[in-house]
Amino acid sequence: MQTSAVYDSLHPLEINLLAAFSQSADKPVSDSSLQEISRLEPSQVSMALGWLQAKELVRIHSEVTTAWVGLTEVGHRYLEIGSPPEWIVKTCRQGAEEGRSFTVKDLQGLNTFPPAELSRAFGLLKKEGAIALGAGGRIEATETPSPTVEKLQTLLNQVKESPQELLSFSPDQQALLRQYAVKRGSAQEPFRIDDRVQREYTPTKTGKAVAKRCHAGAVEEVSQLTPDMLKDGSWRSKRFRKYTISLRPPRVAPGRRHPYREFLDLVKHKLVAMGFQEMRGPLVETEFWDMDALYMPQFHPARAIHDVYFVKTPTHAETIAEPFLSQVAATHEHGGPTGSSGWGYRYDKERARRLILRSQGTAVSARTLASNPLVPGKYFSMARCFRYDQVDATHATDFFQIEGIVLGDDINFRTLLGLLTIFAKEMAQAQESKFFPAYFPFTEPSVELHVRHPKLGWMELGGAGLFRPEVTQPLGVTVPVIAWGLGLDRMAMVALGIHDIRELFSVDLEKVRTLRGRFA
Amino acid sequence: MPTISFFQKDFERLLGRTAPLEQLESWLPLVKGELKDYTQATGEIRLELQDSNRPDLWSVEGIARQIRIKLQGSPLAYPFLQTKTKPKRSILVAEGLERVRPYVAACTATGYTVTEESLTQLIQAQEKLADLYGHKRKTVSVGLYRLSRIRFPVTYGLVKPTEARFTPLGLSEKLTLQEILTVHPKGIEYGSILVDQPLLPLLWDTEGQILSFPPIINSQDIGQVHAGDSDLLVEVTGTDMRMVLLTLNIFATNLADRGAVIDPIDIQYPYDTEWGKSLRTPCDISDVQKIPLKAIDSALGLPFDAELVQQTLRAYGYEVKASRHILAVRLPHYRSDLMHPVDVAEDVAISRGYDSFVPLMPAQFTVGSLSALEMMSDYIRDHMIGQGFQEIFSNILLSREELVDRMGLPAADQVVEVDNVMSQSFSCLRSWILPSLLRVETASPRAFYPHRLFEIGEVAIPDSTHELGSRTMVQLGVVIAHPHANFSEVHTCLDMLMFYLVKDYELEPLSHESFLDGRAGTILSQGQSVGLIGELHPEVLENWGISVPISVFELDMDWLCAES
Repeated sequence: MQTSAVYDSLHPLEINLLAAFSQSADKPVSDSSLQEISRLEPSQVSMALGWLQAKELVRIHSEVTTAWVGLTEVGHRYLEIGSPPEWIVKTCRQGAEEGRSFTVKDLQGLNTFPPAELSRAFGLLKKEGAIALGAGGRIEATETPSPTVEKLQTLLNQVKESPQELLSFSPDQQALLRQYAVKRGSAQEPFRIDDRVQREYTPTKTGKAVAKRCHAGAVEEVSQLTPDMLKDGSWRSKRFRKYTISLRPPRVAPGRRHPYREFLDLVKHKLVAMGFQEMRGPLVETEFWDMDALYMPQFHPARAIHDVYFVKTPTHAETIAEPFLSQVAATHEHGGPTGSSGWGYRYDKERARRLILRSQGTAVSARTLASNPLVPGKYFSMARCFRYDQVDATHATDFFQIEGIVLGDDINFRTLLGLLTIFAKEMAQAQESKFFPAYFPFTEPSVELHVRHPKLGWMELGGAGLFRPEVTQPLGVTVPVIAWGLGLDRMAMVALGIHDIRELFSVDLEKVRTLRGRFA
Repeated sequence: MPTISFFQKDFERLLGRTAPLEQLESWLPLVKGELKDYTQATGEIRLELQDSNRPDLWSVEGIARQIRIKLQGSPLAYPFLQTKTKPKRSILVAEGLERVRPYVAACTATGYTVTEESLTQLIQAQEKLADLYGHKRKTVSVGLYRLSRIRFPVTYGLVKPTEARFTPLGLSEKLTLQEILTVHPKGIEYGSILVDQPLLPLLWDTEGQILSFPPIINSQDIGQVHAGDSDLLVEVTGTDMRMVLLTLNIFATNLADRGAVIDPIDIQYPYDTEWGKSLRTPCDISDVQKIPLKAIDSALGLPFDAELVQQTLRAYGYEVKASRHILAVRLPHYRSDLMHPVDVAEDVAISRGYDSFVPLMPAQFTVGSLSALEMMSDYIRDHMIGQGFQEIFSNILLSREELVDRMGLPAADQVVEVDNVMSQSFSCLRSWILPSLLRVETASPRAFYPHRLFEIGEVAIPDSTHELGSRTMVQLGVVIAHPHANFSEVHTCLDMLMFYLVKDYELEPLSHESFLDGRAGTILSQGQSVGLIGELHPEVLENWGISVPISVFELDMDWLCAES
């Protein structure tokens, strides 16, 4: 295997250790030295050494067993309150100063040390002449110091920080340590002597080659670059973990336009680009503006197809603006000044005030006609409309109608067809369109626009016509006016891949978040 | 818009030539028809007819007629309109009917033997005319009878509900008119037309045989036509004389087109009508109208030659006399839809074919623009999306329960309600956006959190000072829902929005049923309330079945536009 490939396969701990070998000029190094150089935990060193040996990058050079001396719990206690011989001498001297004296029994009664330890201490002290037994078995501390007490004290202090190799002590001390070390049958001792196997390791030939690539410190693998690494430049010595980039990333929910409204935005901007000005109107309308002003007679079947929602309260608007009410009424009854015969019925002004939910976007156009529109002028609205229909896959409770008007001296049947041709191209990218005679109560002539959509084939895109003079003149408009309406929902639904119109207004957030499509 | 069905063979017989489907489709623009269905095996065709002012086209006879005229290039002649001899038969109208159902028209059709197929077509035309054109028989209804059984003159008179008895169609026993209205299916269906009438209309002959009880039901004996019958009486009654006459004209012409000889009947009124006290039906009902050629030209955008217009209109059934500038036109007797010269203009265009007009691009310059409200809405929508919110787009008809009850609002709270409710779920216009967003929350507990939603849309706020009783407003609603959603988070969103709108605002503590007390506020701008903000009350969340905390704000948009 190439050394680079071997290197790439290394765990950061392995790199760290190989670097430590490298630093020691490839000489045999003990595990304790490796620990020191690499600054790794002992467990990490032993783990990494295991891996490196398995990969045959490192082998054991030598193995030496040594004895090490450390403190036991008892030893720590001795450091705290003194060893038993030291304690006996100290306690007796203190007692003498206070005029008190102790027998062996008395000291045993203090329960500071187990009786066995105390007995050994009495034996030692008597042997070294540090105590004498007086009348009644009272213990007296002599002036003679006990050498053993002092030696023990020294040794306790020497190994209190960390274990020391037994061989580093004098033979004399070694004997004392062995005497006071834990052994079978004598658990309560201050010292412990353990055998430690010390191994020295050396890199193999491949190991040496790989080790050259390993730099001390360039070995820490990190997953995240941090500002600190950039500040102190430590990123240079880091290895950045390689990711499996073929995995899917986690999902987030971005801020996002509603897809159907995005579609309507596109339509809106196209209309503005074609020179149309937006108009708006109220959701609650009078029958007057919704239908009468559009020359839909109050009795006519064309009105029955507009099954509308009536408002519960108030049922009627207070007034309908004049002169529009009178002019529309006259036009319905006998044509008024429009040159029409009118519908020839008695117009009901009360009914004109009946409040309903707007049933068609043309109501907004009617209001615009009555408010001094620009001539020439182009207007559009995206009006929320309501029909008294059963809700199903093709009927929403409420929906948008995209409608508008064009006013101008040059407006006639041919310019109407011209406008529809532009709509076919702009709204449906259609190169082909067909016009069919249609019927709307408020336009004459009336046209239905069919286009060949590049994806959907032939479809009805909208309806249009020239407003009847019975509509425009009573509202004060004397130029011809195109009225048009576009049916674009099907295009939106196909682009979004939905088949039920209700899903355009879905309450299912997951659906809203995932609904997508490109509207060309 | 009626849909009718007929058989291709029947249509071809009436047309006098074969008509493959494609050929038929190419003619449909002449009748504003749309092919709905075609069954190859049987040759059955279903058409939808669009023009509600052309009931003459709501039958296979009418459709074939319009196409026939186009093919031959001139109107058809109907001798029953020309005959000068006094009709042999008459109907006498009785005093008092002017207050109930004033008008009647009738004719006989003889020499044509009704077939199963033509009977089906007659009944279909009868139903479509009475139902759609005649407003469910209220304005117009039609009766067909076996002529041989009837002894003229016939009387169209009034009787007391219990005075007359006859066997109505579909039954075998005699009932009084009163009983028919309460027992017979047609009596129940159409009885409301005669409600509160002390006397009811009835047709009977000189021997006292009852023909029918218009507009409810015919008699079983005389008023049931069978295939094989060859002599018929057609009668139309109603409340609008022009519509009554037109309907009879259509029926007479349909039967004439099938080969029947139509003989007019004299109608004698005791009261004055638009057409006098005595008239013969069928008859011409349209006058000659003079129309300047210019009116056609300017509507269609082409200078037309008078000769060409005359030809074109004759090929659509008109009677025309053209001088250089003036057209004298008269509609055929089976139509009554000429109100204005534009109606003639459309017929010229249809007869010529819409395809024959070259589209002309409108050339006048106009400036396009969005309303201030829409521009502000778009600006705020972009901002909210930048803040990481998902836009929601809702239906705005909701239930009162959603708008008021679940929000913890008092039951008296006003919203715009629908009178003719179809479903309680869609019975009110929303008065604020928040309930729309909570509908989404209720439906979406499994969509991963956080939920950050907004909607800008229209609401209707009841306002007795407004002429429409309510104001349509545009509002922004914002909802934050997740396990740690709180006031501070939504407040930050509002604060950022206001910062970029360059609007100062303050929050004033608000006590509101929908919100936790002490965690709700009115959004004030220059002392004016423009919205509210808060943490939803757990009770409200419970009402909606929502199990995460939600903080919200709702802001009036019109105010932002009014200021800027």
